[in-house]
Amino acid sequence: MYIYLPIAEVSMHIGVIIGLGGGVGFLSGLFGVGGGFLMTPLLIFFGIPPAVAVSTEANQIVASSVSGVLAHMRRGNVDFKMGGILMAGGVVGSSLGVVLFKFLQSIGQIDLVIQMSYVVFLGIIGALMLTESLRTIIRSRKSGGVRRKLHQHNWFHGLPLKMRFRRSKLYISAIPPLVIGALVGVLAAIMGVGGGFIMVPAMIYLLGMPTAVVVGTSLFQIIFVTANVTLLQSIQTQTVDFMLAGLLLLGAVIGAQFGSRFGARLRGEQLRGLLALVVLAVCVKIMFDLALRPEDLLSVELLR
Amino acid sequence: MMRVQAPYTNLFRMQTFSMQSLRAGLVLVACLAVLICASVQPAGAAPNRVVADLSDDLVEINSSYHGTELLLFGAYRGMPGDDLILEVRGPSTDLLQRRKEQKAGIWINVETFRWLGVPSFYHVFSTRPLAEIAPLQTLTESGVGAASLGLRLAKSKGGGGSHHNGGDDSPVSRASASTDEQNAGLVRNMTGLGLWATRTGSVKTQQDMLYRTALSLPSNVPPGSYVVRVLHFRDGVAISESKTDMKIRKAGLSALIYRFAHDYSLFYGLFAIAFAVASGWLAAVAFRRN
Repeated sequence: MYIYLPIAEVSMHIGVIIGLGGGVGFLSGLFGVGGGFLMTPLLIFFGIPPAVAVSTEANQIVASSVSGVLAHMRRGNVDFKMGGILMAGGVVGSSLGVVLFKFLQSIGQIDLVIQMSYVVFLGIIGALMLTESLRTIIRSRKSGGVRRKLHQHNWFHGLPLKMRFRRSKLYISAIPPLVIGALVGVLAAIMGVGGGFIMVPAMIYLLGMPTAVVVGTSLFQIIFVTANVTLLQSIQTQTVDFMLAGLLLLGAVIGAQFGSRFGARLRGEQLRGLLALVVLAVCVKIMFDLALRPEDLLSVELLR
Repeated sequence: MMRVQAPYTNLFRMQTFSMQSLRAGLVLVACLAVLICASVQPAGAAPNRVVADLSDDLVEINSSYHGTELLLFGAYRGMPGDDLILEVRGPSTDLLQRRKEQKAGIWINVETFRWLGVPSFYHVFSTRPLAEIAPLQTLTESGVGAASLGLRLAKSKGGGGSHHNGGDDSPVSRASASTDEQNAGLVRNMTGLGLWATRTGSVKTQQDMLYRTALSLPSNVPPGSYVVRVLHFRDGVAISESKTDMKIRKAGLSALIYRFAHDYSLFYGLFAIAFAVASGWLAAVAFRRN
């Protein structure tokens, strides 16, 4: 059964939409990531206009982040103060991102920038995660366990505006989280992702937050960043397809439940290693798309 | 059957006799008689007439829309060897054409051309290949193909203007050397999207009186006002022409969502967020109990 998507202005098989939501939802439940970095390229691949894919995915991530954050809140794994500061940066950054998106669209380079961002960020994050998880696996086989310092001190621990973050057991300047929030916000708006896959490593390695609160806090701020993108894109470009978001969500909710149950059987470093492979696969696929000669060098875009 | 009668009645009114008082059953019989008489008369002796109708002149795009097929039919007063060209044209729009080039190992858009007033939908149907029906110049004068589309590039974006001096089987004519590639690309891209098409030999005729063809609308059909035109050719000359209108519009839930998104975009955005938050919360609660 086909369903006509009123904003994307194409029809798609309802099973494909729910299946996409379910498949990506499964992986997101399995790895504890939002899955936007998989969903947005897939939607574009299935013929959804890139602008609609990015905006609609932002809308869908609002829902998956809300349902994710509730689980983390019950366990007390959300640092609201840190989340609030990241969010403040994120709202500013994503607002800039939406403006940048429209500009890039007008000069015809939005596809290129989306693809380049994917290659660069997925490549870096994937490679880092893979080496880290391999090292952990090797080390844990050699010696009994891994011991790490609570957090390392960087140059930016000397910045002003110091604040105490009780849940994160940190006393650091508010400037780094603001800047990180803003940068990830820009990327979230352009790439149609929540940005968790960048935010989480940044929180661990740059801010030195304890891993227990990282995912919950990241999800908390993603809600606001993606809600901001949804609102701004609705107003500015009218590219949020409510019908598409709703159907994706239906699949994603169910898929995520299976994913998280399945994930509970795997070990942390194995999970991270697998996720790294998925991330790198997406990265390589997009890299090929950019490097291979397109079937047609000319393309058209109808202005409505 | 009721629908098929409409063109006959129209045709009939053309004649000088007043037949309106006759009963419906008689009308059809008389009409056929007139048609047969007309076909044996020498060309040009009586006013020629072609009429067009559609199986549906209002197409509604609702949530279950996945393209549709319409019957395009009508009557004409023909002779063996006559030809028909049918043309379905959608609302005009501006269009950006981009050209990719390899830079530093990757393919990127390096040039943008803006086409003005391009039909967002243009399907041509004919009894034979267009070039066999009439000379290019005649086709152009009749508004079939290139010149009728009035395709032109905006000057500012480079690539030069385009000159159209004839039509061929493709909707775009051969243009000046600098835009041959662009013209071909436009036709290729629009055809690839299913928005443009030329289907020669797709018009079926019956006894030089009736014709029909199938118009398939793709799922990405642009909504708006459409014009259907039928041209009757004899010996390479257009001897008669007729037009009818068709409307394609969004309807039902998809129209509602589209209008909501465009007319109340702020509330639409807030609503989309509220819906997402509510369903996210609902999902968390529902699966917690399991």
